[in-house]
Amino acid sequence: MSDWLRFTLPAVVAAVASPAYAVQYLSIDAAKKLAFPSANRFVENGGLTWKAHAGDRLIGLFVVDHVIGKHLYIDYAVALNPDGRVMRVDILQYRESYGGEVREPGWLAQFVGKTSSSPLKVGSDIRNISGATLSSLHVTEGVKRILATYGSPTR
Amino acid sequence: MEAPHASIRRARPLLGTFVEIAAAGKTVDALEAAVEVAFAAVATVHRRMSFHETDSDVSRLNRGAAAGAVRVHDWTYQVLEAACDLHRRSGGAFDICVATALQRLGLLPEVPALSSPAPRLPSLTTSGERDRAVHAAIELLPEHRVRFAHNAVAIDLGGIAKGFAVDRAVEALRRHDVPDGLVNAGGDLRVFGPLNHVIDIRDPRQPDRPICRITLRNAALASSAGRFDPVHSRDALDCSVIDPATAMPARWTSGASVCAPGCMIADALTKVVMNAGEAAAPILEYHGADALFVSADGRVHMTANWKNEVHLAA
Repeated sequence: MSDWLRFTLPAVVAAVASPAYAVQYLSIDAAKKLAFPSANRFVENGGLTWKAHAGDRLIGLFVVDHVIGKHLYIDYAVALNPDGRVMRVDILQYRESYGGEVREPGWLAQFVGKTSSSPLKVGSDIRNISGATLSSLHVTEGVKRILATYGSPTR
Repeated sequence: MEAPHASIRRARPLLGTFVEIAAAGKTVDALEAAVEVAFAAVATVHRRMSFHETDSDVSRLNRGAAAGAVRVHDWTYQVLEAACDLHRRSGGAFDICVATALQRLGLLPEVPALSSPAPRLPSLTTSGERDRAVHAAIELLPEHRVRFAHNAVAIDLGGIAKGFAVDRAVEALRRHDVPDGLVNAGGDLRVFGPLNHVIDIRDPRQPDRPICRITLRNAALASSAGRFDPVHSRDALDCSVIDPATAMPARWTSGASVCAPGCMIADALTKVVMNAGEAAAPILEYHGADALFVSADGRVHMTANWKNEVHLAA
């Protein structure tokens, strides 16, 4: 039978500076290529959207959007096929922040146009986290918005 | 020439949370291909076991299994078998028949077929009778067919399917000879390979603060606590773990983490620990699992043989 150890934790101190939790998963360029491996051309379509072409053929639409909250920034990409159906959704960048730097444009510039060549060391500079279940509801709602805007067949 | 020992990390919104897969030790192309198959396995679990998808096995069972046997996917059947076994061994502290309680609390949507007046089961009142109630309520028949005893039975696999999905994703990565990896479904995670992985556990009372750091190797770690939505607030929301004995959210435990060889068992055992506290010791031991939980008064309780792997935050 397992024995239990018991500790008393100090009361929660609101002033403790918490480490931000942030991961860059994919650059926009890398996500485009993963979503449309056969594409040889991405044509800008206004805003952060691109039409993917394989030769003369349109093979889909690539849309980048974000969720910004009080303590959260998520950049994600949605790949739609020409029928307007979602093929895949990738999280490009995830950041929980508690200092307010999320809304700073300088910080946004850190990943816009960044390439996938920057190496990513798993488990050292980026930590894994477990605990309260994170809701992905806002991204799901974002994908629905994108479908409402771009979900009809593209030509 | 591509580096043969690259590492990648990808994330997608699945299972109502963010599923993150990291893989290392092969070329980038080989890793991308393996991660794609692993995400496909998670997506299959999502499609089959989501309460929200109308054509999932879970929705088909909740609509029709009281009227006659319903055939389900092999994976759904495996999860149901494990869930019934966990229910029995936990004395009812783990229960997939909490869907109506979750609906009443607004944590699951109302489904027309389920919102018809449901007779309360008198046998759900004492833990001894609950054992028999689930076996009477969910019949697992040959050829992956499942039947419910009456139309008041409604299941939700939210307390076990995430862990099962993590196990299937790990299986896919290993099948593709990925030597080292991590799959994390919103905090229910499993690592494999020769490397140690450092995991921060959020303080259930203040999720932006870590409560401890755990070194994990070839094992799974799952956590349950209040939900956390940093879009709106840094505070944890109400807990969505239901105590089957009261049909209300677990109250006296604010968060629990369980380490086990597999993630499905770790995921399910967090609910047992949330509801039973230290009384979960026998079932933890049966599954070779360790646990820590934070009681509502702020005390941390941890199984003794885990002490070398856990570093409490100062």
